[in-house]
Amino acid sequence: MIRFENASVTYPGGVHALKNVTLEIPDGQMMVIVGLSGAGKSTLIRAINGLVPLSGGDVTIDGASVRNAKGRQLREIRSKIGMIFQTFNLVKRTTVLNNVLMGRLHNTSTLRSMVGMYRPADVEIAMRALERVGIVEKAYVRAANLSGGQQQRVGIARALAQEPKILLADEPVASLDPPTSHVVMRDLQRINRELGITTIVNLHFLDLAKIYGERIVGMRAGELVYDGTGAQADENVFRDIYGRSLTADDVMGEASTTAAAAL
Amino acid sequence: MTAAAQPSARPSRPGPSPVVPIGVLGFLIITWLSLSDQFGIGLDLGGLIEDITRGGGILGELLSPNWEFLPRMFDPLVETIQIAVIASVIGCGVALPVAFIASRVTTPNTPVFVIGRSILSVVRAIPDILYALIFVASAGVGPLAGIAALVMFNIGVVAKLLSETVDGVDVGPIEAARAGGANRTQTVRWSVLPQVLPNYVAYSLYTFELNIRASTVLGIVGAGGIGNLLFTQYRFFNWSNVSVIVIALFLLVIVIEFVSIALRRRLV
Amino acid sequence: MTRVSGESRPQRPSQAKRNLALLGAAIVVAWAALTVEIEPGRILELPGGIALVFYEMFLEKGPDWSYLPTAIDGMIESLQIAWVGTVIGAILSLPLGFFGAKNVSSGLVSNVMRQILNAIRAFPEIVLAIAIMIPIAGLGPVAGALAIGLHSVGTLGKLTAEVVEGIDDGPVEAARAAGASSLQIQRWGVLPQVLPEIIAFWLYRFEINIRAAAILGVVGAGGIGFSLQQTITFHRYPLAGTAIVVVVVATIAVDTVSGWVRRRIIEGAGAKRVSEIEEPTLAVTTGPS
Repeated sequence: MIRFENASVTYPGGVHALKNVTLEIPDGQMMVIVGLSGAGKSTLIRAINGLVPLSGGDVTIDGASVRNAKGRQLREIRSKIGMIFQTFNLVKRTTVLNNVLMGRLHNTSTLRSMVGMYRPADVEIAMRALERVGIVEKAYVRAANLSGGQQQRVGIARALAQEPKILLADEPVASLDPPTSHVVMRDLQRINRELGITTIVNLHFLDLAKIYGERIVGMRAGELVYDGTGAQADENVFRDIYGRSLTADDVMGEASTTAAAAL
Repeated sequence: MTAAAQPSARPSRPGPSPVVPIGVLGFLIITWLSLSDQFGIGLDLGGLIEDITRGGGILGELLSPNWEFLPRMFDPLVETIQIAVIASVIGCGVALPVAFIASRVTTPNTPVFVIGRSILSVVRAIPDILYALIFVASAGVGPLAGIAALVMFNIGVVAKLLSETVDGVDVGPIEAARAGGANRTQTVRWSVLPQVLPNYVAYSLYTFELNIRASTVLGIVGAGGIGNLLFTQYRFFNWSNVSVIVIALFLLVIVIEFVSIALRRRLV
Repeated sequence: MTRVSGESRPQRPSQAKRNLALLGAAIVVAWAALTVEIEPGRILELPGGIALVFYEMFLEKGPDWSYLPTAIDGMIESLQIAWVGTVIGAILSLPLGFFGAKNVSSGLVSNVMRQILNAIRAFPEIVLAIAIMIPIAGLGPVAGALAIGLHSVGTLGKLTAEVVEGIDDGPVEAARAAGASSLQIQRWGVLPQVLPEIIAFWLYRFEINIRAAAILGVVGAGGIGFSLQQTITFHRYPLAGTAIVVVVVATIAVDTVSGWVRRRIIEGAGAKRVSEIEEPTLAVTTGPS
């Protein structure tokens, strides 16, 4: 269980990115966060694994405070939280397998990782993660030689290799075309259902949010403005969250008739 | 065309930017001062031409190399190569962590970063022969001082170039590693190093070339290698021996450069 | 794990080539380390020796500031040697660089010119000073400036040729189409494109030449090198400390100013990024030596 208790984040420039957010996310839930860019979605996600330090309140994971965790403690919390990024954040000049093995670093001594002598068991975990996203045949290919959709699947495999309890995805499909976006979102949904991993996804596209979000949370200017099921979220709700009328840019459309029908 | 001529259509010529004339003026003044007899080094073209005719005898000797001197050069030349090889390996090895300390990307801790960069610029400001002088004074005459001098020199060159490369890496993978619970060393090893490795190899090979060139002259101050022989022959005005040494050095440098360029092409 | 379809895990690709290259490098290094004539004991003494010299230079009584005027005089002479050398190198390398560029001169001429420039570059400044310039100009700063100048012709000429080869051909074609003569094409079609970068190279060369000029005095070619050698060789460390401080401060100061000007020139011209200029494949072809 992830719990936000009056969590606030103020950036050094004085931007108030998160304002007194209180939120509970039970284990195994697939939650989608929607909102305009700059609404605080990325900050909310990064507050969970401490990549962004809190300036007020706290975030706890199964009772353990993220705000008070330092050094080894913080790394231990992070090791149980996989993360997926909009720009994939792969090391493009090295192999897919080396990228996925980065998910095992938390479990590898510094000395071993310096010389790249991962334990066979860790390599096995990485291989299985690649198999789960269906890209194991690329294990020894340089990440730079993969398409965007393939790179994001490597990103997912890297997160899975951590054997996480929580998966954070920050705009995972914003750099992908519509058909590939659905493939990646279905991968995330499958992982959530089959492995019971709590999954939190930032999305910009409302139709995707409705299809894949078991629960939808809306953010505006650092505050929670909506919290409900995907089914309840209709056009008015989104208009409310966005504070303006919806445009064609807000839906992904194309390649998914269900998406169009959903809204 | 004439009918359409409106007086307002043509812009007036913009006033010249002051930067260029000031730059040119500054350049001329510094150059004049540097050349002058009174304030500078006193370079005078007429005298120089006279000198060339006067130095003709020496040039003649230089143009008739004494090939019998060749065998005596073998050992010092080998030592020159040894110095360059050992210094390259140690220097480039030490430069790797130093480069990470001297980049803001891998060292967000400001005081450490500032101290790292400052030490690096002091290290870079000292020329290799000065290092050689200091190390000969502290370790005695011989290749050890030469190696130590080149190690310092290499740290300056490679760490500077590499830290600038590190400044420009994609920071996304760093965030990914941190999010996955990796510690700082692991993050640098797996997020940053793979990104800069080809550059590092290129810089190292390039440094090896520089070392071959530099190690030929370190011996002038007693730091081992062929330079010592060169300097002795020069001091005794054995110009035809100097000539042979210079030719051999030239060939060595050219060969090493060929090898290095070929390797760089294949690796990078 | 459910989605394991028929796809199989790939074989780990062979690392034989890489391992062979590493082995080759290791053998060369091992040969050098095992055959070089250094008594192991002296390696252990090295850190202590350096610490002692450092202590006597800077800590025991501090650098001897009475030596400051002499050291500053020497450093000014070194700066002048570097400046004159760079100016000589810049003036001569500009036309030679154009001749060395394939797209400006003919293939044969550019090849020959490149080889000549490469040959010049192969000689360190100190060797040029000993073997050519001191015999001609005699001991003193003029020989140093000439040696640095000649070496700079080699490095700057190569860089100029590379920059000229990288230009945008459009303006050249336009000038030719407008009936410009060959020299006019160079002046108005090529030079404006390459000048900012070339000037940046000149400044960068000046920074490198300062380091070279600071040591030429060791062979009698003028500048602070003579003071450095005399004070260190005769163990007058407090004096040497002063001279080293002067070298370091002057070098860093010039680096800073010159680096700032270079960035302004390059950014103003919208040309390549400064860091690209400092990539070794492009820029430096020899360091301080």
